[in-house]
Amino acid sequence: MLVVRGEDGVIRGFLNRCAHRGVQLCQEASGHVRQFRCPYHQWTYDLDGRLMGMPFRHGVKGVGGMPAEFDFSQHGLMPIRIAVRRGGVFGSLNAQTPELEAYFGEKMLGFYDRVFDGRELRVLGYSRQRLRANWKLILENIKDTCHASLLHVFFVTFGLFRVDNPSKVRMDETGLHTALISERGRQELNEGTRQMHSFKQQLALQDPRLLDTVREFPGDATVIMHTFWPNLILQQQSNTLATRQIVARGPREFDLHWTFFGYATDDDEMTRRRLRQANLMGPGGLVSMDDGEIIERAQQSFAAAAADAAGINEMGGRDYADCDHMVTDVALRAFYRGYRNVMGL
Amino acid sequence: MSLREELEDFYAEYSEVIDGGALERWPDLFVEPCLYRIVSKENHDKGLPLSLMLCESVGMLKDRAQASKELNVYAPRAWRHSITQVRGREEGGTIAAQANFMVLESLPDQHTRILCAGRYRDTLVRTEAGLRLREKICIYDAALIPGSIVMPL
Repeated sequence: MLVVRGEDGVIRGFLNRCAHRGVQLCQEASGHVRQFRCPYHQWTYDLDGRLMGMPFRHGVKGVGGMPAEFDFSQHGLMPIRIAVRRGGVFGSLNAQTPELEAYFGEKMLGFYDRVFDGRELRVLGYSRQRLRANWKLILENIKDTCHASLLHVFFVTFGLFRVDNPSKVRMDETGLHTALISERGRQELNEGTRQMHSFKQQLALQDPRLLDTVREFPGDATVIMHTFWPNLILQQQSNTLATRQIVARGPREFDLHWTFFGYATDDDEMTRRRLRQANLMGPGGLVSMDDGEIIERAQQSFAAAAADAAGINEMGGRDYADCDHMVTDVALRAFYRGYRNVMGL
Repeated sequence: MSLREELEDFYAEYSEVIDGGALERWPDLFVEPCLYRIVSKENHDKGLPLSLMLCESVGMLKDRAQASKELNVYAPRAWRHSITQVRGREEGGTIAAQANFMVLESLPDQHTRILCAGRYRDTLVRTEAGLRLREKICIYDAALIPGSIVMPL
């Protein structure tokens, strides 16, 4: 895909494919252009995707050239529907997809707007990784509240995201979009942490600046992990803000494109804090590396499983309703119910 | 011994510490104040400040080493650093060094793969214990990482 801001300031999207022979027009991840010119036969398009010209259209020395009736207006770039909301750009190839606001629904839009609150965004950097697992496993991972309290020593020990903290699960009516909401707790032994093998009461950071977090959003939540169907994860974990785009590459492999960001109004101290806390996330993240590894490990055993093998998602009961704790698989149940609906299974 | 030979010896030791599983010794190869970063060429070239790993003190190096060695969950693997084209220039008590690096990663039941390749841009100082890192920037070439980077490069 190509996404470009035109001279009129409007953001448009196109398939990154010349109308002539299908060659990729653009190979850079980002940059500035005045037009798109295919290197193969030099068909040239403007930033609105209109075909502007080509060499030899009228032939050379009176011979050859395109037929006189060749209609430029019928051979522009294939457009993609684009929606923009407060710095976030979304695309869809499907004419039936509702408008972005309706697609998210009021409840999830509220969570989105909490992070994309109208302030100008500032990209801090990108990371990309390829994981050998089904793409749904990372959505599942972010909807799976219990694992965060068990798998990740850094979440568990320092209380960043833990089931004994005040928490909520909120979903839209399809069950496909989810927000997991929680508050940071303390490094203390209690009824919850006593059951977590990964809780390390004696563990102390040599340099605690990693977890020098500040509250920057209204309300009590210090972390909200959002999943937007089908391919967007939005995280606000303390002061790390990031999107993860899921790019499926068949049933057994996907790429995760991370974009870390802050706000243009951040001072240097806040930027340093975000960059430091980014150590928790990404392909080398003190937390996220566990996730990448564990879903690849899940995929390995799926490959060997019987066709009727199944997982168990019964923590917290068998219902599909929002709830005010995280000791539950409810977001997983709702997700797979929504998935079956979408896929007609 | 020429500066290049000294640096080559240092990088050999650096590789052995990581590839040999002695990560708890990795912070000893730095001196305070120090900086360690892994950064993609993409972010580096665009002037974007994000690191894939960032340690701003020996304490942070120790925290990362402990996490990699004891706390993170990942499949067992072998790493093999290859550090080549080592060059350095000494001026006013500090050595500006650069080298190419490549890390080969071997996972159970898989062929050895290239985890990443790139260049080191380092600053070293002389201490009684030998050369030590003041700053190490690992700039990796391909933005797309196969899997995860579970240890320092």
